[in-house]
Amino acid sequence: MSDAVTLSLAERPDHVLVADCIAADRFAGLDANTIAALPVVHGGRPGTLGEFFKVRGGRSSVVRIEGDVPLMEGIGAGMAGGELTIVGSVGRDLGLAMSGGRIDVRGNAGDNAGGAPPGAARGMSGGEIIVRGNVGDEAGARMRRGMLVVTGAGGRGMGIGMIAGTVVVFGKAGPGAGRFLKRGSIVALASIDRPATFRYACTYRPPHVGLLLRYLRGRAGVPVADRYVAGKYERYSGDLAELGKGEILQWAGE
Amino acid sequence: MKINGVTIADTFAEAFTMRVARLVITGRTAKWAREAATKLTGFATSVIGCKCEAGIERELTPAETPDGRPGISVLFLTMDKASLPEQLIVRVGQTVLTCPTTACFDGLPDAPDRLAVGKALRVFGDGFQASKVIGGKRYWRLPVMEGEFLVEETFGMLKGVGGGNFLILAADAEAALAAAEAAVDAMTSLPGVILPFPGGVVRSGSKVGSKRYKNMVATTNDPFDPTLRAITPSQLPEGVNSVLEIVLDGTDAPAIEAAMRAGIPAACRPGVNTITAANFGGKLGPHHFHLRKILA
Repeated sequence: MSDAVTLSLAERPDHVLVADCIAADRFAGLDANTIAALPVVHGGRPGTLGEFFKVRGGRSSVVRIEGDVPLMEGIGAGMAGGELTIVGSVGRDLGLAMSGGRIDVRGNAGDNAGGAPPGAARGMSGGEIIVRGNVGDEAGARMRRGMLVVTGAGGRGMGIGMIAGTVVVFGKAGPGAGRFLKRGSIVALASIDRPATFRYACTYRPPHVGLLLRYLRGRAGVPVADRYVAGKYERYSGDLAELGKGEILQWAGE
Repeated sequence: MKINGVTIADTFAEAFTMRVARLVITGRTAKWAREAATKLTGFATSVIGCKCEAGIERELTPAETPDGRPGISVLFLTMDKASLPEQLIVRVGQTVLTCPTTACFDGLPDAPDRLAVGKALRVFGDGFQASKVIGGKRYWRLPVMEGEFLVEETFGMLKGVGGGNFLILAADAEAALAAAEAAVDAMTSLPGVILPFPGGVVRSGSKVGSKRYKNMVATTNDPFDPTLRAITPSQLPEGVNSVLEIVLDGTDAPAIEAAMRAGIPAACRPGVNTITAANFGGKLGPHHFHLRKILA
């Protein structure tokens, strides 16, 4: 048993690398050799994780991936606990349908981060994803519970079809954010392209946003300016084409 | 034993095991946090008549509160497990929920026994309430006319101690009051302790039961009433004409002891004859605070 499992990029994938075997809680019971032998799919062909990463440590739910792997998909899929840190950018389906633990990406993430598998009704149902960069389209799609934090910009359809949970985006959020959202919150610290089916409610200081941003600053080390922590937010209720119990909270100044 | 010429009686204070919760109330300013805390802890001097005992533990700086606003830490005690959530739900609902700008957080996050206070209060939202999980804790957001009230879903409950005490026996009422005020000043804001009575001081110490009225659970402590010295078996030394009591509740016995260690010497002032304590012969309460042992 070691303090952490470290995967250092040894061979950069040439094609899409589906590595949904990587989840912090699953590594808790595996030694380094077993982790290296976990199956991946590279360009549609089967392979092992060890062909691409040097594995150090084992039997730990604290996992660190070192290397920029924008072609790597499905990291943290179905993760239920532990801590997974990726020092670099990752591809699509990060934390797909995860239910617990924390994923911290020190780079960008592709489409469908925290989202749902194709055809599934629910995306992530617990845990936290922090992306210290930009995300692709439909991040947090059909999220049921949990928190997705993006310190950069979000693509199209952020939080689309959310059932509950929280999405925080520090940069610009693309068109269609929150469309078909039932419950849940999208907290936008910059501009957000709201669907027409969201209706303005009021401008106020939501107490949970200050609490949430302080938590991110303290526990996760995300730099959050005081103006956001103590600021006012415009509340838009929606999606009124759905249940309408969700919200977009857009920062409106101090 | 004497401190500043004041006799420390060779006796002990007898206290009881109670259930305790700690609430952290924050507000946009310290004034509003204090307003809510004052109302919440009002009429909570003794379980005899109030069904709970509560008081302000200390003021909290913004750096000490979960939401970074000024706050007040409150301790709340009852005699049994069941009545603590009942009292909290009613009182938080009527005094903190109603108070502008406030939010209410659990101050005993590590306590395994959880009281579903926020969970019960959420229904005030009439279906418009929403919950948020932040850092593994669930909070309820209740829409109110001002904006939103935020309350933690559950609050921790521990076994605490209620009824720690000491009595200040003085030559006159002025000296007794000055000594009591000095003791309260010395004990205020100590961690884990509250003084639930008005200004921290009790003038109407009581004995168990009644000599005359069957239905009374507590009546005047006649052995310590100076006006009854001539007609009761008085326990007052010569020259004592006024007695005040300090009652202490806390999260545990060491907290009570630490407060008594600070408060008793502060009460040993000119005009004070003796510091003693109330007990029931050691038969009722499991916690015995021996004055001389604490001060040694």
